Amino acid sequence: MKEQLMVSGREISNLYPHVDVWGFGIPLYLFIGGLAAGILLFATYYFIKGKADEMPVTVKVSTIIPPIIIAIGLAFLVGDLHHKAYFWQLMMHFRLESPMSWGAWVLTVVFVISIFWPLSYMDDLIVFFEQNNKKWLAKQFKKVQKLINKLPVIPWFIKFTQRNRKPIAYVTFFLSIVLGIYTGILLSAMNARPLWNSSLLGPLFLVSGVSTGAAAIMWMSNNEAEKKLFSRIDIGLIIIELTFILLLFLGFVWGPEAQVRSAEMFLGGEFTAVFWGIFVGMGLFLPAILELFELKGYHIPIAIPAFLILLGGLIFRVIMVDAGQISTYLY
Amino acid sequence: MENKRNKYMNPYLAGFLIGLMMIFAYYYAGEGLGGSGAFKKVVISGVDAVNHDYAKNATYFASSVQEGSSSPLNSWLIFEVLGVIVGAIISAAYFGRLTFKIGKSPNITNKTRIIAAIAGGLLWGVGSQLGRGCTSGLIMSGMAVNAFSGYVGLAAVFGGGYLFAYFFRKLWI
Repeated sequence: MKEQLMVSGREISNLYPHVDVWGFGIPLYLFIGGLAAGILLFATYYFIKGKADEMPVTVKVSTIIPPIIIAIGLAFLVGDLHHKAYFWQLMMHFRLESPMSWGAWVLTVVFVISIFWPLSYMDDLIVFFEQNNKKWLAKQFKKVQKLINKLPVIPWFIKFTQRNRKPIAYVTFFLSIVLGIYTGILLSAMNARPLWNSSLLGPLFLVSGVSTGAAAIMWMSNNEAEKKLFSRIDIGLIIIELTFILLLFLGFVWGPEAQVRSAEMFLGGEFTAVFWGIFVGMGLFLPAILELFELKGYHIPIAIPAFLILLGGLIFRVIMVDAGQISTYLY
Repeated sequence: MENKRNKYMNPYLAGFLIGLMMIFAYYYAGEGLGGSGAFKKVVISGVDAVNHDYAKNATYFASSVQEGSSSPLNSWLIFEVLGVIVGAIISAAYFGRLTFKIGKSPNITNKTRIIAAIAGGLLWGVGSQLGRGCTSGLIMSGMAVNAFSGYVGLAAVFGGGYLFAYFFRKLWI
C-alpha cells in the first residue's frame, strides 16, 4: 500500500483545481447507454405496433447493435472502478433512492433482453442478409446459430423470448426510457456540481439518446420509406433537444450564482466554440437541415446526417461530463 | 433537379461576394477571412489538452494558452471555418452534389491522390505558418488592408504555383 500525506486539499491532484476523475470512458458509456436505449425503444415500439415484417431493419436488424455496445460500455464502466473485482457487489443490493443502483439493475435487465431479442430473430436475420447480398454476414450468423443450438439452456431462453415477445417488448419499451433518462439522472443526482444539478438533464439525455438511436437505424435501413420516417422522427427530436438545451441554460442563467458561472463556461467561456459550434451547429442544426432537404426530395447520402448526429451525441456527453467536473460552488 | 448539378455561380460574381464578405468580416469581427488560422487553433487546443505544461512553455503555443486566458477555440476563425463547412454541405446538398468522391485525374489511383493530398496539406500547413497565413488569411485579408506582405504572398503563392504545376500535372490531367 502506498501511503500519502495530505497537508492541504489543494495537494490532491485529482481534486484541485477541479475534480478530474472521469475521462473519456464515462461519457462514452453514457453515449452507448443512450444509443442502445434509442434503438431498443424504436424496435420494441414498432414491434408492438405490429410492424415487425414491414420494418425489418428497425425491429430485427438494428437490435444486433445494443448487446454489442452495451458490453463495451460495461467494460468501460468496470474499468472506471477503483476496486474492479468488486463490481458484482452493486448487483447484490438495490437502493430505491440511488440512481446508480437503478442504472445498474436496468442496464443488466436491458442487456439480457437485448441479447435474446436479436437471437430470437436469428432465422429472419439470416434470410434478410441473404436477400440483401450480405453473404458474409449471413454465413457468420449461421455459424453463431449452430454454436448456440449446441449450448445448454440458451436455446430454451430463445424459445421463451419467441413465445413471449409482446410482454417482453412492453417491458423493454418502458426500461429503455428508464435507461435513457438514467444516463442523464446519473449526473444530475450529483448535487455538488452546479452544471449537472438540473432535473432537465434526464429528459435531455433521453431525447439525445433516442435521436442517436434513430440516426443509427436510419443509417442501416435499406428502405426509402423507413429512412424518411426516421428522418422525420429525428427532426422532431432535434427540435425538442434544442428546446431542452435552451431551457437548461435559461434555468442556469436565472439560477444561483454558481449555476450562472457554470453556464458562463458555455456562454463565452472555454466550451463556447465546441458546444455551440460543433455540437449544436454541426451535430443538431446541420443534420436537421440535411434531413429537411431529404424529405423535400433532394438526394442526400444518409450517412452524413446520421454520422453528424451520432458524433454530436458523443461530443455532447464528453462536454457535459468535462464541464460538469470543472463547475464548482467554491470560488 | 439533375440539371442543377453542373450549375455553378459565375466566378466573378462569387469573387465579388467574397470581397463583400471581407468588408463585413472586418467591420463586425474586426478580423479578415482565414482558413489555416482555424486549424492552428485546433492544433493548439489539442496540444494544450494533452499536455498543458508543454503548451504553456513552447513559444509557438504559449501566447494562446496562458492561465486565465480564454480557450484558443473561442475565436472568430473557428466559427468562420465551421460556417464554411456547414455552408458548403448545405449548398452541395441543395444542388444535388453531396456525395462521397475523390476528385482526381482518371489516370492515377485513389491511393496516389490521397497521398499527394496529405503531402500537399502538410507542406501547406508548414508554409502557411512560416508565412503567417494562407491564401485567405495572408493574401486576401492582407491585400484587403493594403498590407505589403499580402502582395508578397500573392507573388510567392501564385508564382510558386506556376513554377511547380508542370511537375504535378499528372495528378489532374
